[in-house]
Amino acid sequence: MSGVYGEGLLKGLGITIRHFFGKAITEQYPERRPKLAPRFHGLLSLDPTKCTACGTCANFCPNGVIRIKSERDEQKRRHLTGYEVNLLYCLFCGLCVEACPEGALRFTPHFELATYRRAGAIYDLYALSREAAGERRAAGG
Amino acid sequence: MPESTKELYTEEITLNMGPQHPSTHGVYRGILTMDGEYVVGVENVIGYLHRGLEKIAENRTYTQFIPYTDRLDYLSAMLNNLGYVQAVEKLMGIEVPERAEYLRIIMAELQRMASHMVFVASFALDLSGWTGWMYPFRDRERILDLFEMASGSRLTTSYLRIGGVAEDVPEEFWPALKALLADLPRCFEEYDGLITGNEIFQARTKGIGILDVATALAYGVTGPNLRAAGLAFDLRKARPYGIYSRFDFEIPTGQNGDSFDRFVVRIQEMRQSLRIIEQAVREIPAGPVRAKLPKVLRPPKGEVYHQIEGSKGILGFYLVSDGSTRPYRLHIRGPSFVNLGAFPLMVKGGTIQDLVSTLASIDIVLGEVDR
Amino acid sequence: MASVETVFLSGDQWLKNWLFSWGMPESWVFLCTVVVYAVAVLLFVFANVIFLVYLERKVAGYMQQRLGPNRVGPGGIFQCVADALKLLGKEDIIPASADRGLFRLASLLIFIPATMLFVVIPFGREMIVADLNVGLLYFIAVGSTATIAVLMGGWSANNKYSLLGSMRAVAQMISYEIPLAFSLLGVIMLAGSLRMSEIVAAQKDLWFVVLQPVAFITYFIAATAELNRGPFDLPEGEQEIIAGPFVEYSGMRYALFFLAEYANLVSVSALAVTLFFGGWQGPWLPSWLWFVIKVYFMIFLFMWVKWTFPRIRVDHLMGLAWKFLLPVSLVNVFVTGTAIKLFQAMGW
Repeated sequence: MSGVYGEGLLKGLGITIRHFFGKAITEQYPERRPKLAPRFHGLLSLDPTKCTACGTCANFCPNGVIRIKSERDEQKRRHLTGYEVNLLYCLFCGLCVEACPEGALRFTPHFELATYRRAGAIYDLYALSREAAGERRAAGG
Repeated sequence: MPESTKELYTEEITLNMGPQHPSTHGVYRGILTMDGEYVVGVENVIGYLHRGLEKIAENRTYTQFIPYTDRLDYLSAMLNNLGYVQAVEKLMGIEVPERAEYLRIIMAELQRMASHMVFVASFALDLSGWTGWMYPFRDRERILDLFEMASGSRLTTSYLRIGGVAEDVPEEFWPALKALLADLPRCFEEYDGLITGNEIFQARTKGIGILDVATALAYGVTGPNLRAAGLAFDLRKARPYGIYSRFDFEIPTGQNGDSFDRFVVRIQEMRQSLRIIEQAVREIPAGPVRAKLPKVLRPPKGEVYHQIEGSKGILGFYLVSDGSTRPYRLHIRGPSFVNLGAFPLMVKGGTIQDLVSTLASIDIVLGEVDR
Repeated sequence: MASVETVFLSGDQWLKNWLFSWGMPESWVFLCTVVVYAVAVLLFVFANVIFLVYLERKVAGYMQQRLGPNRVGPGGIFQCVADALKLLGKEDIIPASADRGLFRLASLLIFIPATMLFVVIPFGREMIVADLNVGLLYFIAVGSTATIAVLMGGWSANNKYSLLGSMRAVAQMISYEIPLAFSLLGVIMLAGSLRMSEIVAAQKDLWFVVLQPVAFITYFIAATAELNRGPFDLPEGEQEIIAGPFVEYSGMRYALFFLAEYANLVSVSALAVTLFFGGWQGPWLPSWLWFVIKVYFMIFLFMWVKWTFPRIRVDHLMGLAWKFLLPVSLVNVFVTGTAIKLFQAMGW
């Protein structure tokens, strides 16, 4: 390869010193937020107005992460009352989002999901979305 | 022998290496028999990462198992996806749209590069070249960013679907990909300058862990490890799957089958992958990316074996269908598992440092060894 | 500038006068100043070591396109304080099967030669704790005793990895002691003395690195090996034998080994500066500042090499010492001797 013994060593030294005076490429995370792709698989979010509680997402989930609670009204139509996602078992594969016929389920770029307790990793998306809607109303009204 | 030295005797020691050890690439465990610094024998102990994926497959629908294939060889999720979905497609006789085929090639070759970059990085690190670890990872990060754009995930992509890919790639994918392709040759130069050309590196890898073609074949070693021994066998050429026959690329081979050749072959393979991607980007047609299929797949009764050229060797999926929505049996031929079999043979007689570098050079991923 | 130059010397003079004014006998004054010197040297060593741990991580970070520590304090400058506090707070674990006495002793013993080396280092003009007439010999002799502590630690831990590591340490240090000493011979012949102050004085016009480039390279390689630094960090050999002799140490005991390594880095760099780069001599700036600048330049060289090269193999290591460095340094001694005689014969 190289002609003189030691040439490779010097070349390596040249590369490292060039980077020493070059710029860092790392991301200073808590201060600078990562630029995530729009499709990023973070926390799931549910649009309860679109959801028909059909259960397709739960059926498509490989790990049984999604648990849907619904009740029927007088016209025998199902209404969502709870949508539990157990992130402890979630693979973030996106099969549920893909399966949803109504487009009610989608991913958000929210990725900081670490919790101290197991219970903290179980999200009720239905309650979350209602809270968010309530906050919006409070802010608007 | 004089009387005084008769009583001086040395003993071999048994050294337990792993499953917690800085350079056993996860949870590999070797029981080494050592004569001082020299390795007399090695016994592979595996199974610390066994998750029973093959059994899990029997309790999942065909589509549901795709995310699990990501977790086989977790450094080449796209390639695992590809092998699995093609196996199912073969079983069901599904035609994949043209654009999806091209996207699959682009993703698979990007993944091969990403996997080889981890190999280069961890090989350098196992030889204590700390800085050599960072540069390949820097470039791999850009590939993972591309995956994130396309699939939403970086490592466990689950991007491929039976009959195509999950979604078409977004607009911003193409300029990012082109910028990466333009930068990569310079990055490969840098690896060569920092690692390949380094005399200490060469001294540590040349003539170490030799595996000749006959032994490699006898042990079923495939992939870059076999090609480094000198046999130009690559499934992409030998038995083209998908649309690989349309692309123009070479199969890099080594001569000596030592650790150095295994390293160089992989660097060369990255360059060839680059060529394939460039051609694919040029030729990719517009159109749908997913075949029209029912939501619940019910393959006919029968069995199928499909193999692809994974980043570490031949990755095979053997599927048996009983006509229901779930596989009756799935067997996975993980190249890392098979390649690891030849490891005890390759390191006998070397020092413990050679053992570490040889283990790094055969590039195992324990997720695939244990499944 | 003169006052900055002599700030330490005048401090010393002031201290002596002050003690005399109390009516102390001369021997007592001498004793007191020795204690002060020792404390000063220890302070210098600790301050440098703490800074070096930080510097190494910064240098490594920048070479790897990272930033290195940057969380604790401005630019991460207090990272070492945080690390030291963490190590202090850790449990001092002694393995059940270890030789407890030796295990404890080794961690203390490692620091003694590391600090003793600084006694003969000339930090500036007339700033040397003990200007021994065999200064260089003292340096080499004391420096090599550190091996005993490493061997002690590795053996007493009763762990196979640490045993392998200490075997490597002994083999490596003994082998590299010889080319190290021989590489210094050329300098000694040129200076005509083992006394550090005279070696520095002999480089008034020309640094010895110009006259003895081969000796410098030999010294640099051998010193890297003596320091257990990459690419010669075989005793530690993280990728193979995890941490070698230090594998069972935890908390502050581990920190002592760690600190001793950095103290040795300072002393070896200081010796290189003294022997090859004209010591504290330099224009404009105060002598002790010149000395520190040069030492840090040497330290940067060591770090640069460590963060670029992979580790060498154990048999190549021995081969390099005995088959390459030793003959080269012997030839260097021979050539130097011949040249000196020739120059003398020509009447220069």
